[in-house]
Amino acid sequence: MTAAVPFDRSRRPAPGPLRPYHFPAVQRRTLSNGLQLAVVEARSFPVVTVGLVLPSGALAEPEGKDGVASLTTALLESGAGSRNAAEIALVVDGLGLSMDSWASWDVSEASFTCLRARADEGMAVLADMVLRPTFPDDEVARLRAQRVTSLAQARGEAGGVAGEFAGLYVFGRESRYGRPMGGTAASVSGIGRDDVAAFHAAHYRPAGSTLFAAGDVSLDELAALAERHFGAWSGTPPPHAPPPPSPERAATRIVVADRPGAVQSAIRLSHPAPGRGTPDYFPMIVLNSVVGGNFSSRINMNLRERLGYTYGAHSAFGLRRTSGIFMVSTAVQTEVTAPSVAEILRDLREVREAEVTEAELADARTFLSGSFPLPMQTTDGLAAKLEALIVNGLPDDYFSSYRERVMEVTAADVLAAARAHLWPDRAVVIVAGDGARVGPQLEALGLGTVEVVDPASVLE
Amino acid sequence: MQIPIERFSLDNGMRVVLSQDHAVPLVALNVWYDVGSRNEAPGKTGLAHLFEHMMFQGSQNVPGTGHIAGVERVGGTVNGTTWLDRTNYYETVPSSELELALWLESDRLGWYLPALTQEKLDNQRSVVKNERRQRVDNQPYGDWDERIQMLLFPPDHPYHHPVIGSMVDLDAASLEDVADFFRTYYAPNNAVLTIAGDFDRDEAKRLVEKHFGPIPHGPPIPPIPGRTEVPPRLGGEVRERIAGEVPLARVYAAYRIARYGQPEFYVAEVCSELLAGGKSARLYDALVRERRAAQSVGAFTFPTMTGAAALVVRGNGIDADGDALERELLAQVEAFRAAEPTAEEMERALTGIEARQVMSLQKLAERADQISMFTSHFDDPGLVNRELDLFRAVTAADVHRFAREALGAGNRAVLTYVPAAAEAA
Repeated sequence: MTAAVPFDRSRRPAPGPLRPYHFPAVQRRTLSNGLQLAVVEARSFPVVTVGLVLPSGALAEPEGKDGVASLTTALLESGAGSRNAAEIALVVDGLGLSMDSWASWDVSEASFTCLRARADEGMAVLADMVLRPTFPDDEVARLRAQRVTSLAQARGEAGGVAGEFAGLYVFGRESRYGRPMGGTAASVSGIGRDDVAAFHAAHYRPAGSTLFAAGDVSLDELAALAERHFGAWSGTPPPHAPPPPSPERAATRIVVADRPGAVQSAIRLSHPAPGRGTPDYFPMIVLNSVVGGNFSSRINMNLRERLGYTYGAHSAFGLRRTSGIFMVSTAVQTEVTAPSVAEILRDLREVREAEVTEAELADARTFLSGSFPLPMQTTDGLAAKLEALIVNGLPDDYFSSYRERVMEVTAADVLAAARAHLWPDRAVVIVAGDGARVGPQLEALGLGTVEVVDPASVLE
Repeated sequence: MQIPIERFSLDNGMRVVLSQDHAVPLVALNVWYDVGSRNEAPGKTGLAHLFEHMMFQGSQNVPGTGHIAGVERVGGTVNGTTWLDRTNYYETVPSSELELALWLESDRLGWYLPALTQEKLDNQRSVVKNERRQRVDNQPYGDWDERIQMLLFPPDHPYHHPVIGSMVDLDAASLEDVADFFRTYYAPNNAVLTIAGDFDRDEAKRLVEKHFGPIPHGPPIPPIPGRTEVPPRLGGEVRERIAGEVPLARVYAAYRIARYGQPEFYVAEVCSELLAGGKSARLYDALVRERRAAQSVGAFTFPTMTGAAALVVRGNGIDADGDALERELLAQVEAFRAAEPTAEEMERALTGIEARQVMSLQKLAERADQISMFTSHFDDPGLVNRELDLFRAVTAADVHRFAREALGAGNRAVLTYVPAAAEAA
């Protein structure tokens, strides 16, 4: 080795030449049955991720059938074509597929990642699952029971209770967003095989659906696979149901989900936010980076690095197709629950009062533009970007201009976004913690009556 | 698929591995220090992990939390983790910022102590205690791994105590403890640096030498405290039953096995795949789908190096009945021991292991971490390309022999959680 040359360690090294990153072109085609195809190629590994987005999710469920969309996707591996659940598992594992299917509020999806050589066989399994599920009665009963168990599991955790409370108290039980996406014990017990089959028959249709692939695959290759496995599929799903309204409130409301004896409080401050297509999207993500998106954001630096109240605190805009939710999440030790809430509220109010500093703005912009290529290392990550375009109806050139649009955001834009989309004084603050200890602390904040609620009394 | 490997050493003993890949303009840095909770003396539990936190609190030329801020500012990701045998630190940054990452990592190895203060220690002690509350004390089943460690390893073995430490020991940790820990274990000769991704080879070597070269070789690393050698079998059954704040029953059955790198370890890893690698695997098929005795199942190894390793089998219950769940889970393990797995099962298990390895290596950070691990544990970075051969060499007869010999009541720790409410009723 050559001898080390002395240099000034106190100065951050200058960056080397910046290599550009271009999001791969989105290539599209439509089959004669209306099924849309979309591909982004990335050839460095012999791996491909394939997914199918169906245009209906939990918001499309019939009245009284909460959870049928999720149950339908869960049942796709329970029997399809000539195979029962065990036989499907043998094929999926035999091919080394990581197969998954799930519903969100807006869509239902099934997806797998595999070695390129297995894509054809993988697609055959996917087509069986989506086109020819059998929904055996005993599997319907099993997966209903699984849903009840997983809900009990989630409610055993402070974060699970707090999250469910946040949905309920922000949107209200009358809104579909106010009730768990996967349904409750009461709702899923009322879902039978016929309900699942009816949801499938109505919504699993090629028109409005997109089959997409990312990785070691071309559009021609995907089209050939799609013709072979999905060519005979037909039909059109019903139009989207109108989205539930986003309620607004006049003042911040504090609700304690009582967990007697808890040594920590899980805090969720939340309120409605616009949908993914909002024109304020770029100012909002810069704003979130400054406020709570990163380690170095205001809320985490304050609650963790200055005060030591928590292992971490962060915020996020969870933006769905037509509406969203803003949430600050943290877990703090019981003794400092009220001061933590007060600090979060102060951080949110401050970012609405004055422009973020030049340094904060610059850091947030370079964070967002610099981190953009990170997920593109994997076919999964690329597929997730493609999926975001499909689910939210964003234009195909969206990601090619993403970094420029981030860099254009100004401090004035961020302030405007904060004033429009952060509502510290019209939020719901959920605290899952020891009510007897945190109730009086929170009352002393002077934000009105603190409701201490036994989770069992409100969660169905 | 072949991961390129080029290794060299600095004069100060630091081992360096380079692995180029120009697909995306990113570069991943990963540093493994050969120190973990196993190196902690009695009364000092949690020090390795608390120290890892303190490594993000600044060094002479990177004040305060400037390390994380510096990486986030350029769009990178950064973190560190502490485990039984090792501590790792890593960042993924745009390839234009390779030198930034090297500067940050080297500054806290070479110029750490001047920035250490009591105030920072008090803050991070509080953060770590909240980490413990969040992950362990206020989390259903959150203490399962520390309980399994206590059951599987004797009190004088370095895996007996939890990685995150006890609240009492965390409270007692002094600034001098932290400084001592640094002086003892944080030296270039106790570290492996891996760089994976989009960089120029000569430039990378020059920059590594520039930033890490001036850091002096440290003193010899002291032996691991306590009894590091244990037999690869427990020699009996130990059991623990916890009636606690959990919503549903859960059972862990853990087995002591030969340490990571030994042929038996790979057999055990194949067993975990056969038992719970997918929905066609034994435990899922029988317990989740067929008998509906569990909500989900899992099986995995602890790839540890000090004396022995562990194979853990887990069943998440569907109700409060821990006894029934335990019976069902152990009955399936018994069935697994009774006969050789079929050729088809072996084939599927191998397919699963291979597929997951290819998927995970797509990520530069994962690639760098694995290379650092193979270098630190086995002085052999090329194992990242060859380890699959060790799995492929495992036969159905090996599995059967191992299962019969190691997965019975003579080598078993059983940990059962039941809801306190159900226990009282």
